[in-house]
Amino acid sequence: MNKALLKNKQILIGLALILFVSTIAVFAPLIAPNDPNKIDALNKFLSAKGEYPLGTDQLGRCVFSRLIFGARYSLGIAVPTLLALGTMGLAFGTAAAYIGGRLERVFLIVCDIFMAFPPLIIVLSLVGALGQGLEIILAAVIFSMWVWYAKVIRTYAGIERAKDYILASKIAGCSGLRIVSRHIIPNILPQCIVIVSTGIAALILMVSSFSFLGLGFEAGTPEWGAMLNQARSSFYSHPRLVIYPGLCILLTSAGFNLFGEALRDVISPEEASE
Amino acid sequence: MIELKDLSKRYISKNKYGKKLRVDALKQLSLTLVSDTSYALVGESGSGKSTLARILACVERPTSGEIWFDGKNVAAMRSKALRLKRKEFQMVLQNAQSSLDPRLRIYDSIAEPIRCLTQTSRSDERKMILEIAEKVQLPEALLERFPHELSGGQQKRACIARAMSVSPKFIVFDESVTGLDVTLRKQILDLILQLNRDGRLSMFLFITHNIDVALYMADNIFVMKDGSVIEQLENAASYGDFRHDYSRMLIESLPPRSPLHR
Repeated sequence: MNKALLKNKQILIGLALILFVSTIAVFAPLIAPNDPNKIDALNKFLSAKGEYPLGTDQLGRCVFSRLIFGARYSLGIAVPTLLALGTMGLAFGTAAAYIGGRLERVFLIVCDIFMAFPPLIIVLSLVGALGQGLEIILAAVIFSMWVWYAKVIRTYAGIERAKDYILASKIAGCSGLRIVSRHIIPNILPQCIVIVSTGIAALILMVSSFSFLGLGFEAGTPEWGAMLNQARSSFYSHPRLVIYPGLCILLTSAGFNLFGEALRDVISPEEASE
Repeated sequence: MIELKDLSKRYISKNKYGKKLRVDALKQLSLTLVSDTSYALVGESGSGKSTLARILACVERPTSGEIWFDGKNVAAMRSKALRLKRKEFQMVLQNAQSSLDPRLRIYDSIAEPIRCLTQTSRSDERKMILEIAEKVQLPEALLERFPHELSGGQQKRACIARAMSVSPKFIVFDESVTGLDVTLRKQILDLILQLNRDGRLSMFLFITHNIDVALYMADNIFVMKDGSVIEQLENAASYGDFRHDYSRMLIESLPPRSPLHR
């Protein structure tokens, strides 16, 4: 399977993009030529030259440095959130599928209730009730999205659970916890990795769109969505301020999407046609 | 000794209009299985023999009735106590390939009952597994492979080895040779009989739909129809020993031995 992964061009392109963005995020302070938050009122809307590789924005801040630090925010939010979503999904999904019966039906009803609310509504109401803040955005995203992962994982786990080897391991004396952790989870893990890696792109877009709406980040944070929002007012005079962060969002989410979808084609080809 | 008393199992399903349908898979079934004896159970599809197997292996609970296993009612045990009790009875499922976890090496699959049910050190465990693998004629090199890398017969041997790894007192073989080709079937049946003669497998119940196989495997044969045992034979040696009309019918529906008998 590893060979098949390395032969797939789409995976390689996706992986290269992901590595590129991650490297930038990790080494942001070394790469960025200027302090992303340094305001230089005299040098507003400079075009690209020497000291400022991509020019400056409406407050005279270095656009290039801001974009580079922005990678930290996008990945730093999306990856941990997704890990949390994946873990919760695995825990609840496999438990519901394994226990089955009435509990599983209750779980599905709860899922349907959660899924009936668009995430934006939940985030807006939570931010409205609890106030601004990064943690609140994260909590709101996890709160509104976990059912989507749990429900899909429950379906996969349910398919595995019906297989003979689960019955056989029950006869072999495995406890429920052992069946879930040693048999069900290892067997659905490839599918879960696919769901999670395709989900990252959507999550990056989601976080960016929240910060575009002014939710979550303090003013001045070099987050791509927030940068887009601030550049909006000078869109006609300086469109490049909108284009650069937009391109960054596009490239990052394209990287994860390409990778995730190609991974799905390799791991579970039967779903690729959907 | 295993005693089944008035065992019933009812499945409830729904038809397409949402109306409840009751299916009585076992009806007030009573049986006694004596230790150190081998048994065979014959019946058509749908006669309830697989249900009986699953209940005997305690993966399903009966709707009513008692299962006395060496003086304890297993049907009324709590799940946790029941799990530890599995050391004493095991079951071999019909389909060998699907009853092995595709991501576990054969060695780990065979070791699973030992790890779950006993406190054995890794070195003793290895000794036990190598010994059992030799008994079921499974070469040591195969133990490090994954299930899909084994042939059908080897997978079957692995399943038998797994069931036997904790030296249970009683094993249920549920349609264990169905779907194997004739030569392989004979090999597996002979293996089970050999293990029985060696004293490794003193008490078993062999469930099959094939009356030939039942006669070959055991002297004590039960015939099942519609959820009840309709005939019980001791020391059955040939077709002639079956008396019940239904058993006669099963024998008559066997294909003829040669075109001359057609």
